[in-house]
Amino acid sequence: MLILQPALALALAPGLVGLIRWLKARLQSRRGPPPWQPYAELRKLFGKEVVVAHSASWLFRAAPYLVFASAVVVTAILPLVLAPGALDGIGDLLVVVYLLLLGTFVLALAGLDPGTAFGGMGASREMTVAALAEPTVALAIFGLAIGAGSTNLGQIVLQTLRTPILAASPSHLLAFAALFIVMLAEAGRLPVDNPGTHLELTMIHEAMILEYSGRYLALIEWAAWLKLLIFFTLLANLFLPWGIATTFAPGALALACLALVAKLAVLGVILAILETRIAKLRLFRVPELLAVSFVLGLLAVTASFARV
Amino acid sequence: MSEAVFAQLSTFGASVMLLFGFVLLWRRSPRAHITAFREQSVVLAVLFALVGYATADRELYIVAAALWGLKVVVMPWYLLRLERDVGTDRESRPYLNVAASILIAGALVLFAYAATRPVLAVSQLPTRDGIPLAMGLIFLGLLVVVSRKQALSQIVGFLMLENGAALLALLGTFGIPLVVELGVFLDVLLGLLVMQVFVYHIRTTFESIDVEQLNQLKH
Repeated sequence: MLILQPALALALAPGLVGLIRWLKARLQSRRGPPPWQPYAELRKLFGKEVVVAHSASWLFRAAPYLVFASAVVVTAILPLVLAPGALDGIGDLLVVVYLLLLGTFVLALAGLDPGTAFGGMGASREMTVAALAEPTVALAIFGLAIGAGSTNLGQIVLQTLRTPILAASPSHLLAFAALFIVMLAEAGRLPVDNPGTHLELTMIHEAMILEYSGRYLALIEWAAWLKLLIFFTLLANLFLPWGIATTFAPGALALACLALVAKLAVLGVILAILETRIAKLRLFRVPELLAVSFVLGLLAVTASFARV
Repeated sequence: MSEAVFAQLSTFGASVMLLFGFVLLWRRSPRAHITAFREQSVVLAVLFALVGYATADRELYIVAAALWGLKVVVMPWYLLRLERDVGTDRESRPYLNVAASILIAGALVLFAYAATRPVLAVSQLPTRDGIPLAMGLIFLGLLVVVSRKQALSQIVGFLMLENGAALLALLGTFGIPLVVELGVFLDVLLGLLVMQVFVYHIRTTFESIDVEQLNQLKH
């Protein structure tokens, strides 16, 4: 189980991003790259030589591994296909938030490390967005945790499975809205950050990784795609957990994998349509959007207190 | 329908109305405000019909239809016409910036939860979970009226306050008598017409609908 969930996540993440890119291209009347393009990109990057700036230190070389490792560990803890997971002793909401923030922090430092202007700009922007978005992640899931009586993600899933009517309660809906907005911010999607931009002054995430090449870039890109998968999984399995396996039976696990793929595809379609419809926000407007999501998370917590 | 489903649906409707109230604080353009008000009124009309169905009260269907006609069709049309004529400036420098007003709105909804705790403890109705949200919507409307300078935004804020009061009446007591409800609608419509006349006068005098300009009349 420790191996199944991370392996599944690693295999699905590039496909998910490929699907979203392909859909966006089709919606914009382009043919676009095929949905398996990210897999080809990874293979290409792993074969390429690494070029490191002279001014870079050990942090620059270590950062891709740290970011990748933190993302992979989160996928092992998350209720991806199994509700009370294997690492259930530490499968806690706060651990997930901490690991995600650890990855963000290390990447921001790596952006600062070579001393380039764009890296510093990307790092400062990323920390602004992360500082405003991380409390909301914790708050939104905390709203669910109050109803479940525990911050363990597996327990939250089980609670929603036990009482399905809970899925339509205001705390769940507000938490879903808050988490959706935060997903846009944390995974670097429109309207916060355009993942397909080539203009450095508009970049947030890409600006931090401008100096990376070869296998380092492959690991960091894979980790970014994993982050999107992680947030999609949180949105899908915490709020609509039907299909998830609660036992180790292979039939249940297979069904859970199918259910996960279906939910990720639906969320990918929604994200692709949303990204085609809206424009990127100017940077000083992003705190307003994140303030909205913070207040929605706050209301989710209040609503679940009022109910309990 | 079962009581649990009825309670969930009514609370869900109240949450959606509150979210539209937040849109009023977040977006700057008057047209977005009017659209948010219209969608909110749609949800309110549906909620009236829902409560009428669940309690087998025919009068609430009439109120829902009147609400639809007034607040979804007539008033937004009127407001959009007003906006086309005078609402050319966006809210450039409100008294509170957007992020601060959203955080204050969140605090106000928390305050609404605290203020309605005695009511929640006493009430036996299945719709009681939505009462704090309705109270919060009233506070949000007041916040919009107080913190915005553009007269059009203030009008929409006032109308949202009305929506919140109607929602509170619906969730707290399953609606008020039909005659009283129709009287309230007439009041709101007349209020809108009077405010519209004032907005035109402000615009003619000051070439903008920034109500801070009215301070010039003091000297």
